Amino acid sequence: MEVLKEKVEEEEAAEREEAAERAERGEKTKRPMEVRREETTMTQEMLRDLERKLSEIEVSVPEKLLAFTKDTIDTSKLPLSYQSNTLKEEHLLQVADNFSRQYSHLCPDRVPLFLHPLNECEVPKFVSTTIRPTLMPYPELYNWDTCAQFISDFLSMVPLPDPLKPPLYLYSSTTVLKYQKGNCFDFSTLLCSMLIGAGYDAYCVNGYGSQDLCHMDLTREVCPLTMKPKESVKEEEKAPPKKYAIKPPRDLTSRFEQEQEMKRQEAIKAEEENRRKQEEARLLEQENAKTDPLHGLRVHSWVLVLSGKREVPESFFIDPFTARSYSTQDDHFLGIESLWNHKNYWVNMQDCWNCCKDLVFDLGDPVRWEYLLLGTDKPFLSLTEEEDEGMNDDDDVENLGKEDEDKSFDMPPSWVEQIEISPEAFETRCPNGKKVIQYKRAKLEKWAPYLNNNGLVCRLTTYEDLECTKTLEMKEWYQNREDMLELKHINKITGLNVDYFKPGHPQALRVHSYKSMQPEMDRVMEFYETARVDGLIKREETPKTMTEHYQGRPDFLSYRHVNFGPRMKKLALNSAESNPRPMVKITERFFRNPAKPADEDVAERVFLIAEERIQLRYHCRSDHITANKREFLRRTEVDSKGNKIIMTPDMCISFEVEPMEHTKKLLYQYEAMMKLKNEEKLSRHQAWESELEVLEILKLREEEEEAHTLTISIYDTKRNEKCKEYREAMERVLHEEHLRQVEAQLDYLAPFLAQLPPGEKLTRWQAVRLKDECLNDFKQRLIDKANLIQARFEKETQELQKKQQWYQENQVTLTPEDEDLYLSYCSQAMFRIRILEQRLSRHKELAPLKYLALEEKLYKDPRLVELLKVFV
Amino acid sequence: MNRLYDMEPRVMDDDMLKLAVGEQGPREEAGQLAKQEGILFKDVVSLQLDFQNILRIDNLWQFESLQKLQLDNNIIEKIEGLENLTRLVWLDLSFNNIEAIEGLDTLVNLEDLSLFNNRISKIDSLDALVKLQVLSLGNNHIGNMMNIIYLRRFKALRTLSLSGNPVAEDEDYKMFICAYLPDLVYLDFRRLDDHMKELAEMKHQYSIDELKHRENLMQARLEDEQARREELEEHKAAFVEQLNGTFLFDSMYAEDVEGSKLSHLPGVGELLEAYPDKFVIICLNIFEYGLKQQEKRKAELDFMECVQEAIQENQEQGKLKIAKFEEKHLLSLNAIREESELSSIETKIVEYSEDITELFNVLMTLEMQLVEQLEETINMFERNIIDLVGLFVENVQSLMAQCRDLENHHHEKLLEIAINILEKIVKGEMDEDLPDDVRSLFVDKDTIVNAVGASHDIHLLKIDNREDELVTRVNSWCTHLLDKIHKDEIMRNRKRVKEINQYVDHVQSELDSLECGDLLD
Repeated sequence: MEVLKEKVEEEEAAEREEAAERAERGEKTKRPMEVRREETTMTQEMLRDLERKLSEIEVSVPEKLLAFTKDTIDTSKLPLSYQSNTLKEEHLLQVADNFSRQYSHLCPDRVPLFLHPLNECEVPKFVSTTIRPTLMPYPELYNWDTCAQFISDFLSMVPLPDPLKPPLYLYSSTTVLKYQKGNCFDFSTLLCSMLIGAGYDAYCVNGYGSQDLCHMDLTREVCPLTMKPKESVKEEEKAPPKKYAIKPPRDLTSRFEQEQEMKRQEAIKAEEENRRKQEEARLLEQENAKTDPLHGLRVHSWVLVLSGKREVPESFFIDPFTARSYSTQDDHFLGIESLWNHKNYWVNMQDCWNCCKDLVFDLGDPVRWEYLLLGTDKPFLSLTEEEDEGMNDDDDVENLGKEDEDKSFDMPPSWVEQIEISPEAFETRCPNGKKVIQYKRAKLEKWAPYLNNNGLVCRLTTYEDLECTKTLEMKEWYQNREDMLELKHINKITGLNVDYFKPGHPQALRVHSYKSMQPEMDRVMEFYETARVDGLIKREETPKTMTEHYQGRPDFLSYRHVNFGPRMKKLALNSAESNPRPMVKITERFFRNPAKPADEDVAERVFLIAEERIQLRYHCRSDHITANKREFLRRTEVDSKGNKIIMTPDMCISFEVEPMEHTKKLLYQYEAMMKLKNEEKLSRHQAWESELEVLEILKLREEEEEAHTLTISIYDTKRNEKCKEYREAMERVLHEEHLRQVEAQLDYLAPFLAQLPPGEKLTRWQAVRLKDECLNDFKQRLIDKANLIQARFEKETQELQKKQQWYQENQVTLTPEDEDLYLSYCSQAMFRIRILEQRLSRHKELAPLKYLALEEKLYKDPRLVELLKVFV
Repeated sequence: MNRLYDMEPRVMDDDMLKLAVGEQGPREEAGQLAKQEGILFKDVVSLQLDFQNILRIDNLWQFESLQKLQLDNNIIEKIEGLENLTRLVWLDLSFNNIEAIEGLDTLVNLEDLSLFNNRISKIDSLDALVKLQVLSLGNNHIGNMMNIIYLRRFKALRTLSLSGNPVAEDEDYKMFICAYLPDLVYLDFRRLDDHMKELAEMKHQYSIDELKHRENLMQARLEDEQARREELEEHKAAFVEQLNGTFLFDSMYAEDVEGSKLSHLPGVGELLEAYPDKFVIICLNIFEYGLKQQEKRKAELDFMECVQEAIQENQEQGKLKIAKFEEKHLLSLNAIREESELSSIETKIVEYSEDITELFNVLMTLEMQLVEQLEETINMFERNIIDLVGLFVENVQSLMAQCRDLENHHHEKLLEIAINILEKIVKGEMDEDLPDDVRSLFVDKDTIVNAVGASHDIHLLKIDNREDELVTRVNSWCTHLLDKIHKDEIMRNRKRVKEINQYVDHVQSELDSLECGDLLD
């Protein structure tokens, strides 16, 4: 058994080689007939093997991706154009069939053309009509790179059912978009539609690609995000030497020695280079060890963009799976069978023995590109074509499409519905908003914004080894974070975390790099200095020091460096947090203050707090090379008599480049020292405040990490809850307002007018009657109401009287409960009676007024006013 | 004013000033120091001399850095003796007997001037006080509203008080001031509101517009004049001023009595018509050539830039060396301080002093290098500029020679005509009438020849003078320039050497003091 298996494997290996060879040769269009015959007869067996192997490959493809078949598509709701062909389309199919027949007759050694696959309704459709040029309403999709990126994100890839043949089905772009999956033909059709819509000269290509390309396998590619952008070296323009430029001093070193030294260095460098190259070659070999047995046979479809339109300087390929652009000479593209756009279909008549490197994309050249339909707008680009090898047997090929074709026939319009992408889908991008791409030593994960509740949109993990087991570093991109966190960079080896922020953090933080969130550890914080009052750019911390860099301060401070001593053991009186580390030394540097002369402008001052010394260094005057220095000893001493020494000359040691009179004075020195003492206090305070601020920022950062709230734009009406609430409230208010208005417009005349014959003008008599009726009616209603109240009142009083009677009669026999009941009834009844009484009296008061009001209203009613005027 | 003259006026003498300075000087510990050392008048920043019955300001010339001076409530009658106090910012002369504003022309930094309660009747002599912000002139005798227009020139003036003057009784007083001093914020210690300003502006719009127009015209004229002056300066720098017109020719005839007489002769008129044109063309040639040469000389002066660059570069190197040394210096000083063993201290000290010598040598080498380089360049520049000037002089001289030729030619022609006419007169063939003074020249041949010759001599003299002037000026410019360059270079070198020596001495002395301290320990 074992032996057999081995044998089979050996055979397979041999045949694989054969197959590869054949594939390579299979591309050649002009191959001697007899040789080919020989080969075909020879490889009958081999083909079977091949087929078997193919089935193996298919098995290896993940199951779930295969789910996208016709069965899952609901064809019943598709429009008519999907389900049938128009006359013109039928005609086109006939033309295509004819073309195909002639083609297979003339080039029997080539695979049949991919002309009219079935669509989702099992209707054959010509490939060009499947392209539906559409310009998308999103500005991001206007350029080819972003457009391709979108498609590669939006659709998930399904491999071809048979990797050696073009698919039987080609679905419409609308269906593909709906199910968000497709094979390479679906991808490139959609991309082509969008690119043509955006004005590019784009074509779908049916050809052969490398295995990596066909399987969307990026594991051998370096992730573009990990590549560092090349720093463009800016060459400074050298000013032409001036007439009086100073000659450099004579060089007295030996030229010969220099040369020898140089040679030695070069030799070392060359050796290193050599070693490096060898190493690289070795690595490369290791990586590329696995070769593909089906190399050159795998069918793939991609997009070709020709130069000319939209300022494209050079033709290039786009792989729709990865959205990468390749030059037309790239190794991944192994051959082209045919290409098409929405107007025409071209068959490649050039030899692809050297992949696509020698192809000329001059579609107007009928020798190189055989077209299906005549009369497209492709001009003959180059007329100076050489009589190359393809010429001799192309003569008959040239005529094939033309003679029986209707010259005025052009491509029918696309049967595909308008391609639409909803804004939600556009924002979500990837299917379910998530996508993972595996690169060489790197993994890229993408999420739609707002999908992760911490705002994570992208994560790049870099690994040390090819198997992706050891994490090297992680980069996480965030979006819409309230704390403006943009990028988190975690280096797993050094344990260094670097957070990058966008402008707008409450503490104007720009970069924060740290190893731990504990205070007083190594950390660097950078700030947006223009957003800060104190102009702080950067604060670096180590366990013993703190360095701050400033810019643009009115006191010209540029740098402060604080050295801390070991924390003193304090008694348990104070809690730990209010025990700052003692400062040993504070160094401050200043920019030049142009308002002061240089030798009075302090450049650096050092407070040696422990030694009670202050050192000053001044700026250097423009014509000097040395700067003033001054050192103060601020020890207060007591002289022999016990008096306090205020100031002695040896308390201030100074070096002055140009000695000045007034600085020698003790008074001046004393004043300077007093000032410095105050400033020392101030500096210590500021340093202390800085420490506090660090603590505060760390606390804030922790809170932010904890909460990680996301901001929602006020224009984002779907997500912004507040906005939504507000809008709904507004709508409700409007609705209520409307109801109220309807109520207010109740017409008191309406019931009376309705009695009159409609559409007639009122006569005076009618008007008077109308008015009287209305008034009478109202009077009646008022009286009724009064009567009603009166009746109720009487009823209540009667009942009360009865009850009272009953009570008086049975007073003796009543239990206390009954008595309570009675009393409560009485009080309630009395209350009711009183209310009714009040209502009645109020009604009596108001009724005449209401009556008069109505009367007046009626007099003023626009419908009656004309007719009633006389009587007033 | 109504001050009682019961006290005798006092004189501002040294004692008074010393007393005041001492009283107003620093307090407490600083005061003790000050007493110990004494305070120099030239260091005093602020001085208060009120209620001293001072009659005359005097003895203040030493207070060079004074910024604030209070002389209020005295009996000063005249502003004087303040010429040296150029740093003064704040001057209070209120409650005195001053009658006119004067003696303030040097106080260009003055911002606050108080002349409250004096006897001033006119605002003027304040032109120099361009920074004036606060002016207090209340309780004076200012009666004319036009004084206010004078204040328009102080662009920084924000506060003015004029109450208690006759002008302030005018009912239009406030409006007038608002209108004419739109930038004023406070008048008589009250803020001027915008509404008021608007009203005032409306009221006085016409007169103000007219005033503004006049001021603009004046400004334009001044600018014009300035531009012209600048142009002339430029021409002067090119040594060809006023050669771009007929100036030289006109000057030739300006003092020429005979020439003007002779111009009445028949035939001379035509001669004189063509002559100036030719002459002026040559002058223009000279002028243009001069400007061109000036450009060339300016281009040569990028030499200065190069020298500056070289010096800068050298300084940078020096600074770098010193910075490096200083780092080491600190370390080694500390090391010596902390070293306990005497022998190792000594070796370290020796090492350190070697370092110092090394630094000195390095710095001096750098300086010597620079001196050599600069010398070479300066010599080159000197050669070039002398050549350039020589060429210029030569060419100008040849052009001037053309002028002279022209003049000679003219002279010959004139002489010819004159002799012809003389002959005619002698023969009695002269038809035309000649003015009497001209006719008087034609008495004999000598007279006429002398007359023509004198005219010619004057002309030649003018031309020669102009030429001489040009040549001497350009030469002196050249020598001055070169002298200055040489002197500057020498000064620079001396200064640098001194600086280096000083520094090295300082470092050495630091080491020495350390040594002493160590030995004492």
